Amino acid sequence: MSEINRDTLMAYADGQLDNAGRQHVDAYLTANPDTAAEIALMQRQSDAIRTLFAPAGAEPVPARLKPRRIAAEQSRHRRGAVGWAAAAVILLGVGLGAGWFLRPVLDSRPPSATLIADAINAHTVYVAENRHAVEVGGEDSEHLTSWLSNRLETQLGMPNLDAEGFSLVGGRLLPGEPELGGRAAQLMYESADKERVTIYVTAALPDGQPAYEFTRYDGAEAFYWANERITCTVVGTLPEERMKALSRAVYTQLTEGDDGRERYRS
Amino acid sequence: MSDFLDQVETCVPALRRYARALTRNADLADDLVQDCLERAISRQGLFRPRGPLRAWLFTILLNLHRNALRSSRRRGQEVDIEAIEEPSTPAPQPGHIALAEMARAIETLPAEQKEALLLIALEGLSYQEAADILKIPLGTLMSRLGRARAALRAATGTPSEPHLRTVK
Repeated sequence: MSEINRDTLMAYADGQLDNAGRQHVDAYLTANPDTAAEIALMQRQSDAIRTLFAPAGAEPVPARLKPRRIAAEQSRHRRGAVGWAAAAVILLGVGLGAGWFLRPVLDSRPPSATLIADAINAHTVYVAENRHAVEVGGEDSEHLTSWLSNRLETQLGMPNLDAEGFSLVGGRLLPGEPELGGRAAQLMYESADKERVTIYVTAALPDGQPAYEFTRYDGAEAFYWANERITCTVVGTLPEERMKALSRAVYTQLTEGDDGRERYRS
Repeated sequence: MSDFLDQVETCVPALRRYARALTRNADLADDLVQDCLERAISRQGLFRPRGPLRAWLFTILLNLHRNALRSSRRRGQEVDIEAIEEPSTPAPQPGHIALAEMARAIETLPAEQKEALLLIALEGLSYQEAADILKIPLGTLMSRLGRARAALRAATGTPSEPHLRTVK
């Protein structure tokens, strides 16, 4: 007869033995009541486990666990997915076609208009912020200068607007138009009366042509200029005269040292 | 196809029971079973291995359960209020096992022992089928079962280790 060991006894308790094996252990247990008690304990453990958890298997099965329903749902989704895919292809085709024909119309918007719109948008978003108005505070203006200059890959000084009554709050880096350098820096200035103006700077446009533009949009005044090194848009809601004075100061300081810079005209 | 769904359907009560015992939370358990069924049904043609369907379903369920455990450990665990038992006094008569005490003892088992013990004691599977589901050798399964039982015995206050001799 084979050896009776711990594994055999556990298999016996778990009902895993065949007839012959069971009888063999039965005979052994009659002679060994200690072991019989241990087997009984294992079986009571199993009984307790079944008493605890077996009822969950007798509960009515909720509809969401019916295999037929799940299968039906899946095939509906598959059909739906095919439909959506077809619709997406058609829409994409329509979009591409329309885009191609509208190309001349869309391309007619000059880069300056895009930059001014971005500048005004960034101005509106961040002047409303109190604690998070800037990413890097103006007290660390040296770091701010080198950081933003590196990111825009051009030398960018922080204009000093003390004479106009504005001090530097700080600056932040913003994502820009991909075809116009992809990055922009925003500098924020604040007056003693908590009026805020922002300066939106990007690297030069591909053509590097000088340009000037003064616009009013959505309640904000924007003064835009570009040269071979940078584009700059000063945005604020101050009266026009003060905006012009500020813009003049910014322009003068930011173009200082640029070769062949043109004098600011207003 | 519909034959397959019928076979799956006969396994659902067992899957729910096992999932409930693993999670101790009726909603989580049914979510687990639903995930398991969705996976099995969507993969029936492509991925279904040869061998018994029941074993395959239990394997899927266990894998989903382990994944959920891993992510809930990161999030902090969700415990069903129903699953927290009142503290109970030890069983009055020797040999009687208090159910609440047993439930708590099972909770404290390492996951691998709990998974194995429940497949055998609750689901009544054969050692071989359980070993296949858990993807472990038969000997490993049996040693996990042995350790689980010893831990339960210690935790439910029943006298430990009656000496066992090996006899011919």
